[in-house]
Amino acid sequence: MANSLRLYLTCIRSTLEAAMCLQNFPCQEVERHNKPEVELQTSPELLLNPVLICRNEAEKCLIETSINSLRISLKVKQADELENILTKKFLRFLSMRAEAFQVLRRKPVQGYDISFLITNYHCEEMQKHKLIDFIVQFMEDIDKEISELKMSVNTRGRLVAAEFLKQFI
Amino acid sequence: MSGKEGFVEADNAEAIITRIEHKSRKIEALLKQSKPVEALKTALEGSPPNTRDERCKSANWIAVHRAIMAIRDLDGLFASLDPEYYDILMKYLYRGLSTGDRPTCDQCLRIHERLTERAGLGCIVRCLADTINTV
Repeated sequence: MANSLRLYLTCIRSTLEAAMCLQNFPCQEVERHNKPEVELQTSPELLLNPVLICRNEAEKCLIETSINSLRISLKVKQADELENILTKKFLRFLSMRAEAFQVLRRKPVQGYDISFLITNYHCEEMQKHKLIDFIVQFMEDIDKEISELKMSVNTRGRLVAAEFLKQFI
Repeated sequence: MSGKEGFVEADNAEAIITRIEHKSRKIEALLKQSKPVEALKTALEGSPPNTRDERCKSANWIAVHRAIMAIRDLDGLFASLDPEYYDILMKYLYRGLSTGDRPTCDQCLRIHERLTERAGLGCIVRCLADTINTV
């Protein structure tokens, strides 16, 4: 179980190291514009093959890369309805504060829970291997966070129910 | 003219699919003799290079998938597999990882880790960058 998580993260890490080869590339269609090509997808010669890495039916990671930008979309494991709601709310909370994260995308790609957009400017300002460490660390921590949230919701629910039902004893 | 090319493509596709079926029978035979590495080599060589036909690609993928799932001993695999097969194997591994089926993904992740150690990041980059010969 832990081994399969380790293999999944290793695979994503090596794919990211290979895919994060970004350089500045001004827009070909419009003068003096510089847009992340992976978002526009207008010129096929600027895009590389997108790669989908699945750990199982529930968890997957889509890595799309282009000449000046890279988009990573994650789908997090959601075992039941409660985890579904918690994940949605928690990741929405993070996405709304995308400015602070810099590499986070405000809306996840269709079919995924959260997306990152890394451009050549990020690679120039920040170190490539640190960016990759951040993404992999994020993936490890998200599972722990959601379990913690779920446990605290269950604990609180149990306490409230116990208190409320005491009056009927 | 383009109609004629379409016709040639279809003929070629039939020929390729027949070849793939021959290959599958050979692979089954090799697997029965417990030679998974040989089976994988047979599956990987003659991968349809330039055909756009989805059926050929799917047919070849099924054969390669069968060979990949039969592999148990990874050290033995990399000891005997020639480096020229690393790139094409990596492409098929990514195709396996995109299926989402748990045992396939487990096996592909295991082989991917070892293959990256052997072949390096260049193998992955070639896999991402090759938009012409996709599997």
